[in-house]
Amino acid sequence: MTSTRKEPSGVVGTPGGRPTPVARTSGGRPSPARARSRGRGGAPYVFLLPATVLFALFFALPIGYALWLSLHKVEVKGLGLGAGARQEVWAGLENYADALTDSELLAGALRVVGYGAIVVPVMLGLALVFALMLDSEKVRLTRFTRLAIFLPYAVPGVVAALLWGFLYLPDVSPFYFVLDELGLPQPDLLDGGPLYLALSNIAVWGGTGFNMIVIYTSLQSIPNEVYEAARLDGATPLQIALRIKIPMVAPSLVLTFFFSIIATLQVFSEPTTLKPLTNSVSTTWSPLMKVYQDAFGKGDIHAAAAGAVLIAVATLVLSFGFLRAANSRSKQEEAR
Amino acid sequence: MPTNTKHRRFVATAVAVTLGATTLAACGSSDDDSDAQSGPAKLTYWTWTPGMDKVVDLWNKGPGKEQQITVTVKKQASGDTLVTKILTAHKAGKGPDLVQAEYQALPTLVSNDAVADIAGEAGEAEGDFAEGVWQQTTLGTDAVYAIPQDIGPMMFYYREDLFKEYGLTVPTTWDEFAETARKLKEEAPDVDLTTFSANDSGLFAGLAQQAGAKWWTTEGQKWKVGIDDAATQKVADFWGGLVEEGAIDNQPMYTPAWNKALNTGKQIAWVSAVWAPGTLTTAAPDTAGKWKMAPLPQWSKSEDVTGSWGGSSTAVTTDSKHKEAAAKFATWLNTDQEALAALAKEGGIYPAATTAQLSEAFAEPPAYFSNQPDFYTRAAAIAKTTAPSAWGPNVNVAYTTFKDAFAAAAKDRSDFGAALTTMQDETVADLEKQGFEVAE
Amino acid sequence: MSTLAVRKSAPAAGTTPGTAQGPPARRRRIALVPTLTLVLGALYCLLPVAWVVIAATKSGRELFSTFTFLPGTGFADNLSDLNAYRDGVYWKWMGNSALYAGLGALLSTAVSAVSGYALAIYRFRGRETVFSILMAGVLMPPVILAIPQYLLLAKADLTDSYWSVLLPLVLSPYGVYLARIYAAAAVPGDVVEAGRMDGAGEWRIFTRIALPMMVPGLVTVFLFQFVAVWNNFLLPYIMLSDDEKFPITLGLFTLLEQGSNTPALYTLVITGALLAVLPLIALFLAVQRFWSLDLLSGAVKS
Repeated sequence: MTSTRKEPSGVVGTPGGRPTPVARTSGGRPSPARARSRGRGGAPYVFLLPATVLFALFFALPIGYALWLSLHKVEVKGLGLGAGARQEVWAGLENYADALTDSELLAGALRVVGYGAIVVPVMLGLALVFALMLDSEKVRLTRFTRLAIFLPYAVPGVVAALLWGFLYLPDVSPFYFVLDELGLPQPDLLDGGPLYLALSNIAVWGGTGFNMIVIYTSLQSIPNEVYEAARLDGATPLQIALRIKIPMVAPSLVLTFFFSIIATLQVFSEPTTLKPLTNSVSTTWSPLMKVYQDAFGKGDIHAAAAGAVLIAVATLVLSFGFLRAANSRSKQEEAR
Repeated sequence: MPTNTKHRRFVATAVAVTLGATTLAACGSSDDDSDAQSGPAKLTYWTWTPGMDKVVDLWNKGPGKEQQITVTVKKQASGDTLVTKILTAHKAGKGPDLVQAEYQALPTLVSNDAVADIAGEAGEAEGDFAEGVWQQTTLGTDAVYAIPQDIGPMMFYYREDLFKEYGLTVPTTWDEFAETARKLKEEAPDVDLTTFSANDSGLFAGLAQQAGAKWWTTEGQKWKVGIDDAATQKVADFWGGLVEEGAIDNQPMYTPAWNKALNTGKQIAWVSAVWAPGTLTTAAPDTAGKWKMAPLPQWSKSEDVTGSWGGSSTAVTTDSKHKEAAAKFATWLNTDQEALAALAKEGGIYPAATTAQLSEAFAEPPAYFSNQPDFYTRAAAIAKTTAPSAWGPNVNVAYTTFKDAFAAAAKDRSDFGAALTTMQDETVADLEKQGFEVAE
Repeated sequence: MSTLAVRKSAPAAGTTPGTAQGPPARRRRIALVPTLTLVLGALYCLLPVAWVVIAATKSGRELFSTFTFLPGTGFADNLSDLNAYRDGVYWKWMGNSALYAGLGALLSTAVSAVSGYALAIYRFRGRETVFSILMAGVLMPPVILAIPQYLLLAKADLTDSYWSVLLPLVLSPYGVYLARIYAAAAVPGDVVEAGRMDGAGEWRIFTRIALPMMVPGLVTVFLFQFVAVWNNFLLPYIMLSDDEKFPITLGLFTLLEQGSNTPALYTLVITGALLAVLPLIALFLAVQRFWSLDLLSGAVKS
């Protein structure tokens, strides 16, 4: 469309800079077919050009390459030593068949569903509650609590295993110390059902603040007038929160749900953090761990690519299915 | 602005790549080819050894300057993922000239054609190393794929004071080891002799090696996998039995809890390797001077053999445009006395070169073992008894399977033999999947 | 969307000063339940962070031997050890991280802003398709994208450069989506229409009118991207071989994984990780004032 008209590399070359007023002149008159359209011809396309080019380069191409990898495999001749002993050959759907018949992948998927069933509602519920409370009247210490709840997101992952080791392992954990002093039972946090809680705790701890900020920022953009009428009608803060605030930040809630589902299906860092601390987390605990293990442990990039594509498809179905459902619902409401 | 032009060039290239004009890509790396085989050479070296930049400085100011070979260190993190990083770089033709590689990773690197045969340039170095060590860099062929750098002969470490307190004697055989563990449990039920940890495959591999296991061998053009051979089964049953009866702990090593257990005398021994003093310094700082090192327990009284855990080599990559220069440097680094002394001092490595093991640098024991003045003399004697190891092209798969299968077995205190079978089956299946022919 | 309709019918967004605070007269009373809930939440989140702070004060000797939450005596030594490690390479890593995160987040926010605005304000053929495709970028786990991205950048001879870490992170589907939502909420359609009546071009309307209204949301996008890049590990791990270009995460990782001969330098890693959080706190404190609508209304007026 308009993209090829004027020095495309110039526009691409400054993805963050000012793409100059080229964009403006490209807008013609609205197409007659879309009379109601507020668009100005090419303007939105030019606006989206940087994102599209970056997407093509750093997402589409690598994804395409991953797809290619997933359809190939390595074939070795003889002892496989020396030059030319390895060749990449067409494998068809072999890698996919292997992955789908691998009971560990399915077991991992089930574990992830159990984990997600805890993390997503708890994390988003807390995020929403915290955001609403930050936004409510006469609340004190907001600056401090806002920062404190966000802070875990900023703690670098390199220390995570040590950190949780010190908090979860009975011999060094202050919690076990307290339980011991009180003569209470000391559950093994790193096995069986409690393991899910231990993992979920890490995720909730790390992710609540992030989602809270998303929702809170949305709340902040609601003009005060909107509440005035309700307040004059004698609505309580709770009613205002439920009837006005939550519906108004619905788009942000949809977004946090969408990305939480994806993060759950691609859960990797939490179990990887606990892995060195216990015998209960295998290197293939979650599907993405298995993919990572295939790629970086076993050096089988082809199997890894196939596993990743399967995860992507599952993510597509679940997350985009959710997004579509959410969108169609809001469209229905809009139509009303 | 220089960055700007580079950026532009990238954009131009990247756009061209998008359009499918992949030929453009070739111009990107053309400047490397212009250097001739002889003449000044600039080499890059991926290594994780601390202080390597200082050792390399000696080269750059000495022999390297004379021969116009300059080496630059690019420090890396060690571990299995480094192999993937090397292979990825190799796939793009962007590998460094030299890489540090653990012995068990060499077959994987060789079979991906990532490291070069330097038999012509560095073959003479053979005399500086023990046979079992050198053989790991040749993979049993006529080629030489790396120069050995450091080794990790295995030893038995124990708390001398607590052994006395509990009335234990240092086990010389594995049977005595088991008895010691049981006796300790009677004396002090809260204390463990040691733990069976499933989070480092190298330990188990070393123990199997001591028992005479040969995990990978070749028969003509076929690989033979012997992970479930009699020797390894013996080792697996032994440790599985101790875990099952609760004579030793089953929790992983290297956790904060493990460190504390060593530091507070809740675990009083550790089957480890020559590098253990460093780890103990960090893990159990309060017990310095209370530990002693002894040879690994044997399977029978008449034997004197150990396994190895850890150790690495210096390899020249196939991407290098200066293989001869790189091989010269690798040889110097691992055989020159001055270089080896610096490696010991700056990098804390235990050298593979036999002459260096009793050099000036190892006259004194490690500070942590000041109570054992002959630490390195004994270590050198033990190193001589290292059993040869037999690595194959998919050690990574076997190692990964070990971690999962043995962690599960240790956790349930169940049959280690079944875990071993899993390890064997997965390793064979992976070889077959890759198209290797596998001998039954 | 219905919710937006409500908002747009309100007078220009944010013309009223004050957000959550009531009039001064009622300010003395404190809403107890929300305040307490937030404080509890803060304590829950701070406990593990407190561990990092406390552990950074411990010497190597104390780290594994003293009670977990008992402060140690080694903070000054840890700092000077970290400072001395390989002639201060830590600060180099810190600078690299600042560059990657700062520039990366800036570029990313710009791309997110312009894309999110276009997706929220214009109605054009293929809008939802473009949006869905951009979102599809999050489907493929980054773990598996890193290797293809490496091979691609290798073709452009850009691996082991600052660009190799910056460029793949500029487009953030999360940022685009957030910017779209914030633009939809903060930029009323009639303001855009009014701009057109005045004869302003589309680009001018975006930069002069819409962008200031989007500032609170974009600040959030910037913050998120900054932290995400700051803590990113796998991409720089694959892309960079020169440790002079490493970001902090990668640099600290090399302190943990030094091979079997050298044990992990735990105290340095913990201290280094703690110091790495400080710039993020500063950033958070600096940006949070932009979340207020007061500033927004000021920007619109000027």
